[in-house]
Amino acid sequence: MTKKINLTLKVWRQKGAAHKGALETYSAQQISTDMSFLEMLDLVNEDLTLSGKEPIAFDHDCREGICGMCGAMVNGRAHGPEKGTTLCQLHMRHFSDGDTIMIEPWRAMAFKVVKDLVVDRSAFDKIIAAGGYVSVNTGGAPDANNIPVYAEDAELAMDAAQCIGCGACVASCPNASAMLFTSAKVSQLALLPQGKVEADKRVLSMLRCMDELGFGNCSNERECEAECPKEINITNIARMNRGFLKAALFSRHK
Amino acid sequence: MQLDSKAPGGPIETKWDRHRQDLKLVNPANKRKFDIIVVGSGLAGASAAASLAELGYNVKCFCIQDSPRRAHSIAAQGGINAAKNYPNDGDSVFRLFYDTVKGGDFRAREANVYRLAMCSNSIIDQCAAQGVPFAREYGGGLANRSFGGAQVSRTFYARGQTGQQLLLGAYSALMRQVSVGKVEMLPRREMLDLVLVNGKSRGIIVRNLITGEMERHAAHAVVLCTGGYGNAYYLSTNAMACNVTAAWRCHKRGALFANPCFTQIHPTCIPVHGTYQSKLTLMSESLRNDGRVWVPKKADDRRKPDQIPESERDYYLERKYPSFGNLVPRDVASRNAKAMCDEGKGVGSTQLAVYLDFAEAIKRDGEDVIRKKYGNLFAMYEKITAENPYKTPMMIYPAIHYAMGGLWVDYNLMSNLEGLFVLGEANFSDHGANRLGASALMQGLADGYFVIPYTMGGYLGGAGLDSVDTNHPAFAEVENECKERVNKLLSIKGSRTVDDIHRELGLCMWDNCGMARNDAGLTKALNTIPKLRDEFWQNITVPGDQGDFNQSLEKAGRVADFLEFSELLAKDALDRRESCGGHFNEAFQTEENEALRDDENCCYAAAWEFTGVGKEPVLHKEPLTFENVHLTQRSYK
Amino acid sequence: MDWVKGTFGTSIGKKQLMAVTGLGFIGFLTGHLLGNLTIYLGPESFNSYAEHLHALGPLVNMAEVGLLLFATVHISTGLLLFYQNYKARPVKYVGKKWAGGRTIFSATMPYTGVLILVFLIIHLKTFHFVDHDNQTISQIASNVFSSVGYVVFYTLSMVVVAFHVKHGFWSAFQTFGANHVKYMPAIFVLSAICAVVAGIGFGFLPVVSRLVL
Repeated sequence: MTKKINLTLKVWRQKGAAHKGALETYSAQQISTDMSFLEMLDLVNEDLTLSGKEPIAFDHDCREGICGMCGAMVNGRAHGPEKGTTLCQLHMRHFSDGDTIMIEPWRAMAFKVVKDLVVDRSAFDKIIAAGGYVSVNTGGAPDANNIPVYAEDAELAMDAAQCIGCGACVASCPNASAMLFTSAKVSQLALLPQGKVEADKRVLSMLRCMDELGFGNCSNERECEAECPKEINITNIARMNRGFLKAALFSRHK
Repeated sequence: MQLDSKAPGGPIETKWDRHRQDLKLVNPANKRKFDIIVVGSGLAGASAAASLAELGYNVKCFCIQDSPRRAHSIAAQGGINAAKNYPNDGDSVFRLFYDTVKGGDFRAREANVYRLAMCSNSIIDQCAAQGVPFAREYGGGLANRSFGGAQVSRTFYARGQTGQQLLLGAYSALMRQVSVGKVEMLPRREMLDLVLVNGKSRGIIVRNLITGEMERHAAHAVVLCTGGYGNAYYLSTNAMACNVTAAWRCHKRGALFANPCFTQIHPTCIPVHGTYQSKLTLMSESLRNDGRVWVPKKADDRRKPDQIPESERDYYLERKYPSFGNLVPRDVASRNAKAMCDEGKGVGSTQLAVYLDFAEAIKRDGEDVIRKKYGNLFAMYEKITAENPYKTPMMIYPAIHYAMGGLWVDYNLMSNLEGLFVLGEANFSDHGANRLGASALMQGLADGYFVIPYTMGGYLGGAGLDSVDTNHPAFAEVENECKERVNKLLSIKGSRTVDDIHRELGLCMWDNCGMARNDAGLTKALNTIPKLRDEFWQNITVPGDQGDFNQSLEKAGRVADFLEFSELLAKDALDRRESCGGHFNEAFQTEENEALRDDENCCYAAAWEFTGVGKEPVLHKEPLTFENVHLTQRSYK
Repeated sequence: MDWVKGTFGTSIGKKQLMAVTGLGFIGFLTGHLLGNLTIYLGPESFNSYAEHLHALGPLVNMAEVGLLLFATVHISTGLLLFYQNYKARPVKYVGKKWAGGRTIFSATMPYTGVLILVFLIIHLKTFHFVDHDNQTISQIASNVFSSVGYVVFYTLSMVVVAFHVKHGFWSAFQTFGANHVKYMPAIFVLSAICAVVAGIGFGFLPVVSRLVL
């Protein structure tokens, strides 16, 4: 049933990367429980705008859980308390009248705050640029059916490929590690014959890039898979660990 | 102005090959002397930027999001068509071409569509080679499924996330070129204007969305891949940042805008729940294979669905279209839903929805079978609405989904402005008045991977371009205009928010220029829009500064352009004296309530020339000739 | 030698060093526990086990050097990882809740590690670096465990060891990439068994010593 609820928000406000931030308190009145979390923020922002204050900056785009643009810590949880859900798909019916909700940005050395809840995730692009591809130029690809892929391998690759690059894994990891993100791409390509050719080089170069960007180390705490909105699991990290061991010790790549 | 499509004559099967043969080439050593700007990083933009860089051009690619991987192509669910004929069911390039032209209600350029169908197979090969995890048969070959508007299975897919996987494939190719230094990626930049030097497109002005700085970028050619304008309607299935700004600014610089009234409505979206709804979520059309659409027979019947007995339900699609029933095409299903709601028979709290009932299918096949087919869609529906569609009927309503119209381009995908290429949804070229399912992805990638690499060479090889850098006075002039506009937006300090005006515009467009249009409504929209535009420029309030990350300012700029563009959309709709595809004018319909074309007088693409805000645009008609297909009337009775 | 740095210097490389040395310690613990169980058979058996062990002479020294090397690698890498992980999030969350992945065992790894190091130093001081010429090992044990305070300290330390093993064991397999649908559930169970056996096996030794020796 649709209800109207009133909430108190504690929102992290920060002018920019070089500024100090702090939590500020706002009230969100008459919020329909059918609203998504971001629509609730829209409403708060409308009020802020009309009262001459600067609205809360937050990233968002598709609002259907696939672009990976949105994300914030809601009451200490990446994308809020619902499992397998991005912030844009989190609905206000999961909150009760009178609740206080704390909203913070993703926090990691590699994700600098741009403003308020907006962070810089360009580190993820750098990791992909380090080897998250099959080196094939446009044109000249063989007929698609010349590369048979076992259906279950394709399914497993798809499980990994679903990653939306939102950064919840890094945000929720006690060590701010990007292992789930990196391993999802390494895994996807390692499972497919197209990706096997460059598998050794890829895992070494993507891992070293990830390390250089200041992410933490994986300590198998499993918070990433618990918070991943696409429920990507840590067998992908294991597959990457395995691939790394093979590449580092037995391949010709230095 | 004479519109030259530059489509070669002769047999359609060899047009593209002959054209490519005639195009000039740039030799490999010279390619590195050319700079190309690609605006947008969706399927068209990412594939174009990667492919051009692979050839050796220096590419700068711009996107509005924080990463090129987030463009809205990512949200496409269903699949991508190709004429591979893997299932051996009689598909061919010609059949795909024919279905696309017919699906577009015979308002697309034949030569372009044929080329699209030809490229479709190479796209699948290319994507498979990149490691896109397409669905597979157990033997390891690619799986296909069927989709609306075709009698063959030609749709390739990766679960319900085909757009995502294809985009990530193109993104990976793009990032590979970034890593070798051939593409400079500039995210969080919004193109604010096009810079013309001696009539040729030589650069753009962008706003750095983090610092607010205006940046000048010069190049030998500009490739616009900025998507569609569905957000003119405020509520649509488009992402929040989708906008018409880049295309509109090019239009204001002289590029013709073609067929803006061709907009596509998707019938199975989750209905609007309240005033502050920000966007609509689409659910795959496949639901209509098993769901039955109905409304109460009585208007204003507020009973719960399970309290309405069979005898008081109107399964209106089955009643009106006995042979196609619930599977009528998108536009027919959408218009009928609207008609029911207009009669007061709509359901749900807003009464802007109809039921899509699975009770009979569940009774017939069992819940497990239905769960297997639609489990993920049912889960998504439940997540958004908190209602269990296994127990109570779904509620659906149509929503704006795709823009077939766009900047006018010739066969080379170049607009009438030299050096300005337009790819993907941003151009008007391939879908005519209506797009078939699983064809948008095909077009974006065909344009980017397989068309622009050739036609760009053809242009650069023969254009004899001088060297121009950002110190050219044209850049300073355009940059100043952009700055003035931004300052103007910030200085109004009125009492309405940008969203508030945008919502009003959207409502006006949806009511008067939506699924079913009529002259009175369109005239009303043409009266309302300029007033709303004035209200906007006098009474909005945009907080914050120019030199900062300022999302309110970004939004204001986009809505300002929608307020100009929407007028053109309505004007185009009023001007086209027929109904076709996504454009349905109630004055032009068959006895079966189908779109009634006027092939005699309206077989043209309407390309509009800008003459000033609030001034009458000039219409240029590109006549469409069909040598390879026979124009027929659709019927789904 | 770039590849050595590029291997063992990476985050996975360091974790794999932790895993290999950690599994080494679990092997050592197993042997150590089996030997110490001779306490249950009385002082003679215990002393005789110790004599037989020390009769191996250079082999014991080699093992000691090996353990020292392992310890150095495990501890220094562990501290480095801890520091890097701390640094990876310079601004901490005001409020952070765990989503159910983290356990008390995984969350306390660095701290249980440090506590084990403290225990180890005291343990070596009380059992290893003492006069072995004029007293038997059972006498040493009997003396040490006569202090109730030490017994409590020792027993609590073994709980800490059990915590460390509980996460460390399966984690090592995951780090080597041995996460398999068929075997991972068994590895989890084995992880718990190892922890309980180490905790109880060593944990009850002081009590048993007081009763038997």
